Amino acid sequence: MSCYELTFITKQDLQESQNQKILIKYQEIIKNNSGKIIKTEEWGLKGFAKQIKKHKRGFYFHIKFEGAGSAVKELEKAQNIDEALIRSLTIKVKKHDLENNYFEKKDI
Amino acid sequence: MKKRKNFKKKSNNSSFQKLSLFQKPDMKFFKSCPLSGKNAPVLDYKNIKVLKKYLSESGRILPSRVTSVSFNKQRELAISIKRARLLGLI
Repeated sequence: MSCYELTFITKQDLQESQNQKILIKYQEIIKNNSGKIIKTEEWGLKGFAKQIKKHKRGFYFHIKFEGAGSAVKELEKAQNIDEALIRSLTIKVKKHDLENNYFEKKDI
Repeated sequence: MKKRKNFKKKSNNSSFQKLSLFQKPDMKFFKSCPLSGKNAPVLDYKNIKVLKKYLSESGRILPSRVTSVSFNKQRELAISIKRARLLGLI
């Protein structure tokens, strides 16, 4: 068991209900592969520093989880097919940093 | 009068010190690494505030001879900057 961090960006024109479906879909892939979700963060709509695949903005999601390497393989399989995603990144960390959230949502 | 005596002694010593090869210099020539040490900031691809200090205006990574970051930390910094670029944060 090792610690992983997954961040992915979805397209701008999606609605909230569609975004939540995508989040649940990836959370269940982790759970099905004997993984354990520790924290999920929603960074909200953010602008990119420069255009990515002709998109200017996107919704950011961040999941911290523990699991085996097979869970990451299954995640990347699903991410490659998914058309709603712009980009995604999974990295391995030694220890989860649960104290600071760098992109906290501001309440209006 | 006492002050004068002290002054003379110091001047005698310093002339010998300048001659020695293994004498430690009074001035510091090298800055210590700002990213290692006790209260150093955490290097992470999410921590954009820290990463932006080590980028030039056009967004390129500054060399460690300019910023005096240690060799190990420079390698970590380059990895975390490239991750942030992939996600469109920088």
